[in-house]
Amino acid sequence: MKSYTRRGFAALALTAASALALSACGGGAEAGKEAGSPTSGEVNLIAYSGIWEEQYTKAVIEPFKAKYPDIKINFVSKRSSAEMLSALQGQKGSPGTDVAIMDNSVSTTGNRQGLFEKLDTSAVPNMANVPEKFRNKDGYGPVAMLDAVGLVYDTATFPTAPDSWKVLWDPANKGKVNIVAPPSLLGISLTAITAKMEGEDYTQSIEKATAKLKELAPSVQSFAPNPDEYQSVITGQTVIGLGQNARAQYYSDQSKKKIGVAVPKEGSVYQINTINLVKGAPHSAAAKTFINYALSAEAQSAFAKALFYAPSVTNAELPAEVKARVVATDNPDITALDIDFLSKARDKWTQEWKRQIITK
Amino acid sequence: MNNPKLSIVDLTKRYAPGLDPAVDCLSMSVEEGHLVALLGPSGCGKTTTLRMVAGLMDPTSGSIMVDGKDITQTPVHKRGMGMVFQSYALFPHMDVAQNVAFGLQMRKVGSKEQNRRVVEALDLVKLGHLAGRQVKELSGGQQQRIAIARALVVEPTLLLLDEPLSNLDAKLRENMRTEIRSIQQRTGATTLFVTHDQDEALDMADRIAVMNGGIIEQYGAPAEVYERPQTHFVADFIGQANFFASAVVADDGAAADGERSYVVDVDGFGRFGAVGAAGLAGSTHEIVVRPHRLKTSLQQPAGPFIEGVIERVSYTGDSLSLGLRAGGKELLSQMPTASSGIPRLGQTAYLSWDPADAFIIPGTAGIPHGTERPATADALAAQDVA
Amino acid sequence: MSIITAAGNSAPGPGLAPGVLEKAKSRRDRRTFLALLAPAILGLVASFVLPLAYMVRMSFNEGGPDGVVEEGFTLRHYIEPLGDSYFWKVTLDTFQMGLVVGVLCVLVSYPVAMFLARSTSKFKGLLTALAIAPLLTSAVVRTYGWMVILGDTGLVNSSLKSMGFITDPLKLTNNMTGVTIGLVEIFMPYAILAMISGFGRLSPQLEEAAGSLGASKFKVFTRVTLPLTLPGVLTAFLMVFVLSVSTFITPRLLGGGAVQVLATEIYDQTTGLLNWPFAAALSVILLVLFGIIISVYQRLTKKIGA
Ligand SMILES: Nc1ncnc2c1ncn2[C@@H]1O[C@H](COP(=O)(O)OP(=O)(O)O)[C@@H](O)[C@H]1O
Ligand SMILES: [Mg+2]
Repeated sequence: MKSYTRRGFAALALTAASALALSACGGGAEAGKEAGSPTSGEVNLIAYSGIWEEQYTKAVIEPFKAKYPDIKINFVSKRSSAEMLSALQGQKGSPGTDVAIMDNSVSTTGNRQGLFEKLDTSAVPNMANVPEKFRNKDGYGPVAMLDAVGLVYDTATFPTAPDSWKVLWDPANKGKVNIVAPPSLLGISLTAITAKMEGEDYTQSIEKATAKLKELAPSVQSFAPNPDEYQSVITGQTVIGLGQNARAQYYSDQSKKKIGVAVPKEGSVYQINTINLVKGAPHSAAAKTFINYALSAEAQSAFAKALFYAPSVTNAELPAEVKARVVATDNPDITALDIDFLSKARDKWTQEWKRQIITK
Repeated sequence: MNNPKLSIVDLTKRYAPGLDPAVDCLSMSVEEGHLVALLGPSGCGKTTTLRMVAGLMDPTSGSIMVDGKDITQTPVHKRGMGMVFQSYALFPHMDVAQNVAFGLQMRKVGSKEQNRRVVEALDLVKLGHLAGRQVKELSGGQQQRIAIARALVVEPTLLLLDEPLSNLDAKLRENMRTEIRSIQQRTGATTLFVTHDQDEALDMADRIAVMNGGIIEQYGAPAEVYERPQTHFVADFIGQANFFASAVVADDGAAADGERSYVVDVDGFGRFGAVGAAGLAGSTHEIVVRPHRLKTSLQQPAGPFIEGVIERVSYTGDSLSLGLRAGGKELLSQMPTASSGIPRLGQTAYLSWDPADAFIIPGTAGIPHGTERPATADALAAQDVA
Repeated sequence: MSIITAAGNSAPGPGLAPGVLEKAKSRRDRRTFLALLAPAILGLVASFVLPLAYMVRMSFNEGGPDGVVEEGFTLRHYIEPLGDSYFWKVTLDTFQMGLVVGVLCVLVSYPVAMFLARSTSKFKGLLTALAIAPLLTSAVVRTYGWMVILGDTGLVNSSLKSMGFITDPLKLTNNMTGVTIGLVEIFMPYAILAMISGFGRLSPQLEEAAGSLGASKFKVFTRVTLPLTLPGVLTAFLMVFVLSVSTFITPRLLGGGAVQVLATEIYDQTTGLLNWPFAAALSVILLVLFGIIISVYQRLTKKIGA
């Protein structure tokens, strides 16, 4: 049985009907070979949309452009890492993308599927500042930034930040809780956190976690908060819910502290973004230049100041007030999810939520 | 008419406050078993009147009585009228029998009785064999008859027909006239019949109400309306007519049917005889002479005559229609054809009439000699200077 | 698809052309006809048939974790949901939502459509335009509007609260109630349009005829108005049913993750879990559902003789 991509299939169907000519048939560079110039041309970047795109452009891409005026960065934004992966799978064979910044769990899948190129310090010197634990053990794209799942709360309802996930189950908040259910990483993380609180090893079973989450379900206002989990609290639809620390910090400022975010004492789950060079990238030389810049202390601290993601490099200096608001990258209570396990469990857990937890 | 089936009293309909009334203070009575035609030009208020009688429209004022009972406030479905619409309005989702049975079902007639009466009604219109047909499979004439059967099957207090023949072709229209008349006579249904076709009205009706501008100009038997038109409009609308403005000079004694003979001075043509109601002497009136009553000859007659030039001849087999010009006036006449001596264009012809064939229209401005005509006689003025 | 049927109908059959000459002529006519139709057919094939074929083919592929698709032939993606009570429930919920939204939408749109169809006002055109004006705004915007109106602190709940009818807010969003309300409103313009165009057989004279034959207002409605407007009602229902069963935005936004229908399930499978073969299979199941409804519709319309 031949493994192949959707795009390939689509191309087959379409060429057979000779209805459309494929426009992206440029043919990428051979693996390992350098494509284009390291200081000119363009780089096609695929990464998150919305506020992330906005802040990354301001903090990283614009300074990069100032430094390398001959390299043009084309930002293709997607709402989730899964959508990025889907796009990259579609381009396999003739990639149009050079660099992808995406969730660790998803990029690992990409690595396994041969979508990405290995990187080393000779190609990307700044990788030297990325500690071992943030490098891919097989040599693929390293961690670019980190964040963690937290509790986003309404500061009027909670004058002091809640310090436990248990606040979600507090009857006082009934109907005022928002949870982004799986397949979102937030819901996946809550499942793992709950399992931990229930003394369960989620790689073995989430039976107890499911039972506990089922108790939570009636209190939940929305399992897909709109427009997003932060606005849900800002607009007063809910008073507490899941969210990512970094974005929540940003929106907290935006909303004049209407919301706050806390990483509770029981610990949390990291949300880790890696930066990846696409295999056969059409502009791999310029792409490496960009990746190198993205891992520079300058870019790393600029993005931390802009959107409160924790730098993945050791040499990024942060002002104290920023440092206090980005997640600590060495907190033993914050764990990274077992990615290999997760890629198998994501579907199962999603179904578990739909069948057991959300359904009344 | 001691106990009229239907009485309409001062019925008025104004569609909108600012508008002229479509029906203006109209009163009439219909005798049991009669077929009465509401005749008039399009837009004169016939349909409006009929719809008010049917209960499909509320009058602005006035009342409608059936068998002496005021039904003005009775809703349409309690009036028990049988209405036949111009478009027939057969229910397209029902077959013929179901259409006919509809009124019976509404009256909760038992199903056996229903069947019997449906068959009877369909037989009445000679369409018993079409009971199971779908409406859209019927011809116009057949639809028409089904509509009549549907209206009659409920034994309506009144049968109301709104231009029932106007959607049929000429030949069929003739047949349906007799057909409807015969059905009406057989069932004895008191019928109000709207038409703009004078032939239809004359042919079918027991009484004709000639309507114009929301009022009844004249109400009477067909012969009466034709022979003794009370207004210029009636005379003009029904049949062809020659009008002459005339001064009624002298009463010349009694005529038939209680009328008087008069000597009239016809404007520009000299003195003639005419008949009319009593007490007309000394005023100006129009007289009407029907073309076929105008004696036309190519030799000068003995008595008074009008000399005219033949401008138009139309030969229809058993009669000749002539158009003549006399003293700047356009006149119509008819004469029986003869095997020889057909009048030619440009020939001079001499017109005269029996005094009994000229009728003084009383409604046309009874004004004394020598006075200016009032503005209301404009139409009349236009007529005789033409 | 109607283009294709039209072609089939109007192309003269061989039996209809007796002479050789006519035969040749009719063949030429048909060829011209097909030539004229070719762009439309090509467009249809490219934009409709091919993607559909691709989707059906996809549904038989093996789907690995994280979006890997393996070419093959498996009925797994059909057998699994068919043997799974959860997917039965999702399918039934979808069907039920379509029915409820269809019925409610028709009920609230009927009087509006009737009013517009009957109106003789000179503003009729304007009124009709107003009734369908919501189509000018996107369903997303209108859904957000409903979220604001129906939310716990929204217009409905706050007015009910201030009038003292309730103390705790009614849960009108993030559940099927909200989705239903939203969908009914969003599809009303479609229902109104479908009904107005389906009311062709109704004429005021028919209702008057029924009244003059002794039918009360109610009887006129049940015996004449309703049967004659039924084709329009059915078309509107079918349209709203199909639209609401296939719509994703409103169930997603107003359902708050708690409303699982085939469309949201397909979305999750496609974009969240990257299981395209399974998503394709669910789409095929949805199509079959449409097929069933449409054949029922056709049988019904034939029966009422529209
Ligand atoms: N619904 C209506 N609204 C306003 N005016 C109307 C309406 N129906 C009829 N009319 C007016 O009332 C007058 C009488 O109409 P109608 O009774 O239909 O005449 P007829 O049947 O004699 O042709 C006409 O001038 C017509 O324009
Ligand atoms: Mg009329």
